[in-house]
Amino acid sequence: MKNLKIIMPIVVCLMLICISVAQAKKPGGNKKFKSSVLPILQAKCFVCHGEDVQEADVRLDNLSTDFLADRGAATAWHEAMHVLNKGEMPPEDGEPLTSKERSILVHWIRGEIDRVKAELKSTGGRVVLRRLNREEYQNTMRDLFDLEMDYARDLPREGASPDGFKNNGQSLQMTAIQLEYYLDAARRALDRVIVTGDAPEVFEHTFEKSNVGDKWFNYEVSNYLGRWQGFYGKMVDTYPEEGDYLVTVTAHADIPKDRGAPLMEVSVGYRPDTEQIWKVTETIEITKPESTTYEFTGRVENHPLPVRGQGKFPGLVVRVLNQYDDGAGKPKEVQLDRDGKKKKGYPAEDGYPVIHIEKVTFKGPVFDQWPPKRHREILFESDMRQFDEQGYVALVLERFLKRAFRRPATKDEIQRFVDFYLSIRADFPSFEEAMKETLAMALISPPFLYLVEPAQDKKRDLSDWELASRLSYFLWSTMPDQALLDLAESGQLTRPTVLAEQVQRMLQDDRGWRFYQQFTDQWLKLENTAQIAIDTGTYQGFQADLKEEMLQETRHFLRHLILNDLSALNMLDADFTMLNERLARHYGVEGVIGNAYRQVAMTEEIRGGLLGQSSVLMLGSTGKDSHPIRRAVWLRDRLLNDPPAPPPPDVPDLDETNPDFAKLTIREQLEVHRNKESCASCHRGIDPWGIALENFDAIGLFRTEVHEKPVVAIDTLPNGTELDGVVSLKKYLVENRSEDFARAFVSRLAVYALGRNLELSDEDLIDDLTKEFTRDDYHIMALIQNLVASDAFLTK
Amino acid sequence: MKSWHLDRRTFLLGSGVSMALPYLEAMGEQAVAADLPARMCAMYFPFGISLPKEGSDLHKWRWFPDGEGKEFTFNESLKSLESVRKSVTVIGGMSHPNGRRMGGHDTGDTFLTGALFDKKLLHNTVSVDQVAANAIGSQTRFSSLTMSTDGGVGEPTRSSTLSYDDKGRPVPALNQPEMIFNRMFGSADADLQRNHRRLRSASSMLDLVLEDSNSLRRRLGRRDQEKLDEYLSSVRQIEQRVKNTQKWLDIPLPSLTDEERDVLKLDADTEAPKEYMRTMYDLMWLAFKTDSTRVATYQIASMADASSVAGPFPFREGFKANLHSLAHGWNKPEGAVALGEWDKFMVEQLTYFLARLQATQEGDGTLLDRTMVLYGSSNSTTHNNSNYPLVFAGGNKLGLRHNQYLRVSNDVPMSNLFVTMLNKMGVNTPSFNDSTGELLGVQV
Repeated sequence: MKNLKIIMPIVVCLMLICISVAQAKKPGGNKKFKSSVLPILQAKCFVCHGEDVQEADVRLDNLSTDFLADRGAATAWHEAMHVLNKGEMPPEDGEPLTSKERSILVHWIRGEIDRVKAELKSTGGRVVLRRLNREEYQNTMRDLFDLEMDYARDLPREGASPDGFKNNGQSLQMTAIQLEYYLDAARRALDRVIVTGDAPEVFEHTFEKSNVGDKWFNYEVSNYLGRWQGFYGKMVDTYPEEGDYLVTVTAHADIPKDRGAPLMEVSVGYRPDTEQIWKVTETIEITKPESTTYEFTGRVENHPLPVRGQGKFPGLVVRVLNQYDDGAGKPKEVQLDRDGKKKKGYPAEDGYPVIHIEKVTFKGPVFDQWPPKRHREILFESDMRQFDEQGYVALVLERFLKRAFRRPATKDEIQRFVDFYLSIRADFPSFEEAMKETLAMALISPPFLYLVEPAQDKKRDLSDWELASRLSYFLWSTMPDQALLDLAESGQLTRPTVLAEQVQRMLQDDRGWRFYQQFTDQWLKLENTAQIAIDTGTYQGFQADLKEEMLQETRHFLRHLILNDLSALNMLDADFTMLNERLARHYGVEGVIGNAYRQVAMTEEIRGGLLGQSSVLMLGSTGKDSHPIRRAVWLRDRLLNDPPAPPPPDVPDLDETNPDFAKLTIREQLEVHRNKESCASCHRGIDPWGIALENFDAIGLFRTEVHEKPVVAIDTLPNGTELDGVVSLKKYLVENRSEDFARAFVSRLAVYALGRNLELSDEDLIDDLTKEFTRDDYHIMALIQNLVASDAFLTK
Repeated sequence: MKSWHLDRRTFLLGSGVSMALPYLEAMGEQAVAADLPARMCAMYFPFGISLPKEGSDLHKWRWFPDGEGKEFTFNESLKSLESVRKSVTVIGGMSHPNGRRMGGHDTGDTFLTGALFDKKLLHNTVSVDQVAANAIGSQTRFSSLTMSTDGGVGEPTRSSTLSYDDKGRPVPALNQPEMIFNRMFGSADADLQRNHRRLRSASSMLDLVLEDSNSLRRRLGRRDQEKLDEYLSSVRQIEQRVKNTQKWLDIPLPSLTDEERDVLKLDADTEAPKEYMRTMYDLMWLAFKTDSTRVATYQIASMADASSVAGPFPFREGFKANLHSLAHGWNKPEGAVALGEWDKFMVEQLTYFLARLQATQEGDGTLLDRTMVLYGSSNSTTHNNSNYPLVFAGGNKLGLRHNQYLRVSNDVPMSNLFVTMLNKMGVNTPSFNDSTGELLGVQV
């Protein structure tokens, strides 16, 4: 090393010449590199990695800075970043880097790498041939056949795009196994829809009393359904194994004013042995006290079915329960007199909602005529089938393909399907069997599985048919309905007023719920709450199914804002939220009775807005305690579209070996963190956002103490703003970051609507939409209408 | 709960599995001892193991054994391996050099590939199991069996599969025991006639779809074409599979013995991790035993902690944290013990599998003697991509040497082990990814 120092001045001179040559090669140059990065490299790195000396064979002075053109150079810079991060360079006997210098170097390299990645992934601001995702496939198949079935059962789960969305054309892959499952699902569905042979036997049962033993596990068998009581009708041999069924329940009810309505849950299932397996048909709220008949429908094969001739408790069972639950826990069992017999059971409880069962019937399979409607929708009745089978097949295909492909099929396409039918017909025992295969082929073809918008390298306007699909998958996650198809057919859908009307109609329609659910869950990453195991030691009595209610609050909240034309800023702070009885009980809010979600005014300032919702707070937790960093990163990423950089790969661990460390509160641990130089630079900009929410525990309840110490929720943002708790955080967001939030919301909504990442070329779109959005008092409906009327949405 | 399993199992086996022909007859000369097949499988877990300071109070919770070479003693976590010690090598100090240049949570995808992710911009390369599957896969009904707890492919750097095809594309993993069983033993569809018909029509269906899609392709822009190519290559793969299956249709399915049937708990789910993991191991054992495949992978958990089904596994087994949090405790006083207990639990499941293979006679030895089993993680301690904890077991009759703690230096890439494994599989391979030779330490 010693002699190195002597020759250093010469090296530096030579090196400068080299650099100027290297830089000249690069078009446009790079101001930032020259002004801030190069001087540091010259002063600290080139000595050992320059023209004369190349320690470890590494030479930086003539290394290209064009990461895109020179992949080898990019790899070498990446390696350099790695050793800088680890602190391996410069070596101990070299000239040390200040932390600022180190950070300049690392940020420059990281930035260039990210730029190259973005460049390579660029789709030129156009959506890429987009496959239906799991949810969309399930809905589309269901709507196409009007048949409830678990079509997506075997399909692998989909990973989200870098933005967190699951409808990104580039991220959605296709694999052979997946395609096999599509074929399998199509065949399974068609086997149910297209029937052969005579009408099956119809089974009908009427139960006026339960016909099983006196107690099935926790539920006491009775016609009087208070809490923990159930009515059971068992069919030992005479029940169908496939087809639609109808269950009717005739009942009257006691509905006490202060407790609300009983919940009637109808399920079908059976008891293999010491377990019971059920699938719920439907749960409804009983709001009429007088005797009424309620109808429930489903498909038998979607329920758990006993194996005939086996099992200790043979037979299929219909069960009716009163699922009313006020959180009070199970009543005490007592000795009761039932029909003159002494039995243990649950007592009648005064003042509780009760369902009095008068009669339960089961009928299945039910159909209007044979073959059923679903079958006739596809294989419609016509004399043609007798005298011109080929012509009939062509007509069937023309009709079916128009719905499956979401546009009219060409003559050519229809002919190819007919040819396929003819080629396999002889091998199949019946017309129907061969038809099923032919129809199945449509369901593994690209025009069904993908949103196909053929276009060359030039952008073009969408056709009305393509627009109908984009709109429908955006707002309904399914195929267009007849109204949309009719508008497409008559060429009216592209008219601005029609388009705006359709958006409104679709968001008001029941299917609009899919938007509220899918977009909310993906945007806010609520799906991840499923993997957070709430520690029941800490939160005693926490029921896992409450999580779903927590998510419902947030979905209903967005829906309420949209359908009532309220400002999107309510998401940052609001004086109300959406609750039902169960969730209100969780929050300790009184006077909310019944299962339905409704607007509830919030008297406490801490609650309104997303940051007071337990879904979001639980997401930012470990299941045992709050996780301020997770909350902070989520807030910056999801609400402000300003995600902090991911932690570098080589950050050193904290000295957590100190046994005292574990005893610190999270807040105190974070302070230790931030006293460490390598952590501080990033965490200063992260921690305060999460610290402000420290008054909320892992299940979103307010607390003033943690680990028997008072909660400290004060911290200071890098810009000097002090945040003291959730109220001050919300105030800061509303007053200072509304526009950032608006832009973030617009961007994320656009990503979801377009099914692709945003790129630089989308800046204008986002600018314009955001401007309009803020000017228009943050009305989301109008924003969505503007978005679907934009060039980006209307072109391919 | 118990007898419900029985009902269900009887039903499954009763309806579809062909039991007409005994195994030997069905498989013909393949079962003759002289050319008994070689097999391999690999299991993975994320975030690393407990590794408190040597000589500290917590020393016994160090995952790696004490000593070196033949002279070694297991610490607590690996103690259960004592019973199969003669077929086990613990490897220390080994890792993928490329992995050491990647993020601490990003190396799960490359455990069996050794790829450098960043350079190729999140494109992986082929995994060792798929190299073997491509070479010898057609000799069995299934070229390979890919399993994971999460199923599917997941997302890059947090993939839920260990296997990557020759294009570096993830091979989707199966995660439901019943589905895996049905795929292997075909009890899903009892109507053989109809299967034959549908197989035939699938053949011409796929031809036609391919033709149509090719004409569609011409009308698309470049990016769309790339996307459609995924589809086209999937169609071609199925065509290939359809052809293979047609061939196998004429050979009856292997029949199962009572013992084989009794161990299977096909309704095991991730709510009960131990039973689930054992069932997955059982399925592998059964697949090997019936020679349905000779290559298998099983990702027990992935790096996608927050969104992974296996993340809360420790919770469900009575631990107080999920996998990731547990792993972070590796050098903390209480954390090291908790993580050590978890490591121990995991290894006990592995031992269960090894013992099962060893208890199954095959030709002149046991199933384990001709099955290479690799078990490990791409983190030693959390975020640390070097010194992978690795158990390499089985294959004694394939020319492998065991009963040792093999410590290698940093410059021996893990790919060297893969080269050795492939060669023992009979796949002649001079190199794999960044290998520099074979791993001599495990060879006789």
